[in-house]
Amino acid sequence: MTIDAVYLLQLTLNGLALGLLYALIAVGLSLIFGVMEIINFAHGELLMLGAFAMTFALPVMGLLYWPALVVAVITIGLAGYVIYELLLAPLKPDEFERSILITLGLSIIIIHVMQYFFTATPRMVDTQYGFEGVNIGSIRITWTRVIGAGAALAAFGGLYLVLRHTQFGRAMRAIAQNREAALMVGIRPRVVARNAVVLASALCGLAGAAIAPIQLVTPYMGQFLIFKAFALVIIGGLGNIPGAIVAALGLGLVESWIGGFFEIVWQEAAVFLIMIAVLFVRPDGLFKSGGMRVG
Amino acid sequence: MNRLPLLLGIVAALAFAALPLVTTSNYVIGVGISALVFTVAAAALNLIYGFTGLLSFAQLGFWGIGGYATALTVVTFGGTFWQGLVWAALLNAVVALAIGYPTLRTGRHAFVIVTLTFALLVTLVARDWVDLTRGPLGIPDLPRPSAFGHRFASTAHYYWVAWGFSVLMLAFLYALCSSRIGRTLVAIKQNEPLVRAQGISPMPYKLAAFAISAAVTGAAGGVYTFHLGIIDPLFLDFYYMQTFLIIVIIGGAGSFWGVVAAGVALSALPEVLRFSADLRMIIYGVILVAAMFVMPSGIAGWLRERRLQRMREALR
Repeated sequence: MTIDAVYLLQLTLNGLALGLLYALIAVGLSLIFGVMEIINFAHGELLMLGAFAMTFALPVMGLLYWPALVVAVITIGLAGYVIYELLLAPLKPDEFERSILITLGLSIIIIHVMQYFFTATPRMVDTQYGFEGVNIGSIRITWTRVIGAGAALAAFGGLYLVLRHTQFGRAMRAIAQNREAALMVGIRPRVVARNAVVLASALCGLAGAAIAPIQLVTPYMGQFLIFKAFALVIIGGLGNIPGAIVAALGLGLVESWIGGFFEIVWQEAAVFLIMIAVLFVRPDGLFKSGGMRVG
Repeated sequence: MNRLPLLLGIVAALAFAALPLVTTSNYVIGVGISALVFTVAAAALNLIYGFTGLLSFAQLGFWGIGGYATALTVVTFGGTFWQGLVWAALLNAVVALAIGYPTLRTGRHAFVIVTLTFALLVTLVARDWVDLTRGPLGIPDLPRPSAFGHRFASTAHYYWVAWGFSVLMLAFLYALCSSRIGRTLVAIKQNEPLVRAQGISPMPYKLAAFAISAAVTGAAGGVYTFHLGIIDPLFLDFYYMQTFLIIVIIGGAGSFWGVVAAGVALSALPEVLRFSADLRMIIYGVILVAAMFVMPSGIAGWLRERRLQRMREALR
């Protein structure tokens, strides 16, 4: 088999776009785990809600991309706020299984309520850009993909600045690093946890809104992505945000390459096999640095 | 020792055996088969989650692998139904060891997530490995099993197979859970450092519990597949996992009889209420969330709390 350079480049670009999408979800999961030590099972459903918000906002905004995107992100951020106040706030840091089961229940409710009202029929989303795109050599990429990838990159840059240089973000990192010490210097875990959930939800809403014009929108779209995001969080190391981003980009590329040359089974199995291999070699994730393993 | 639940359990098992004598409705008997098989699968989940304290979503994957292994043994490899069940159990035990060993080294957070991803992987493989599983079309027309020259052709006859299987498996799990091994598992859940300090290595116990739970779930999946008569990727619908989880949580994780009672009651309930699929799932979700807030240790846990409360009152 000869490898066609154009084909390979096409696969690589697709893989990067896919990886950025995975990263948006995985980062949110990692952020929530870092601050609260829980996993939000309904994270994929937030993405799905983001896509639906985009679907409904676009016609109202006269197909304008950016205002609809903003509406979707704000809507999902608010949804995260409501979820935190109603369901997650009473959880204590070591109630990991309980958090999974509660958010699993929430995810079931969201999926089936959406399906009940909007049916499982896939929806196409049209934007002001339609199917126009840019040509790089003989490769063509639609604007919606370029903008989606750009928005994801901008979001990571923004997240980095927030976590590094604002009091808001530093408090999150403090809680993630040492809960007791953070309490002692007067950081309120409840407020920080709420901020983290809202921030993670907004990122997920962004991912959903960006993916809506690229893929078909269905109530189940979140489920397929969330499982991979879970695996990525393990590969990158639980609560390790840069690790999750790198793992997500890597997986996007690997999946895209495998999908281009092998049967689809291998594309789907790749993430699981990589995860098991990583757990064998580095049980605390690929990017665990320093620290001592006890036990 | 309190022997009352065991006696009640035996009486209930005998009463269940009489179901096909009481009714001729295939529908009712079908619900009975579901109740029996789901109870076994929930009891297996209870072994790993309720007793050992490891929340495993891989049960769904084992359920599916068991169903496919049994069906493929009969259809593709020309074996019998009974051989299929044995293969289903063995295959699942091996798979459970292969996933459990690397995952359990890391801790319970990773275990939950890895098992979850595994469950999805099995679904995708069932759908996409068309050469083996025949993809979304599934394997229809599975023949009913026979033994000693007798063919369990009708639903009523197949009910006896499911009944015999369930009673055998529940008896095995009961013996396991109430043995020294069962007590060790509970000890690992409650205080792992203390268990280590007693000179017991938790890893073999955890792995064994996971493998046994997987094997039993797989065989249960096999029995259920041949009740349905067809297997396709829908057999791995997350609905099954939710059903097992809700049975364990409502019954009371860590209480053998609580889960068995909840299994029988909750498998019959959705059939009796006859909701649309979406509405039923919404109700399941609400029950799950509500149960986690109102009674996180289930009905059995609630009863135990009340009994302890009364004893404290009496001592005062």
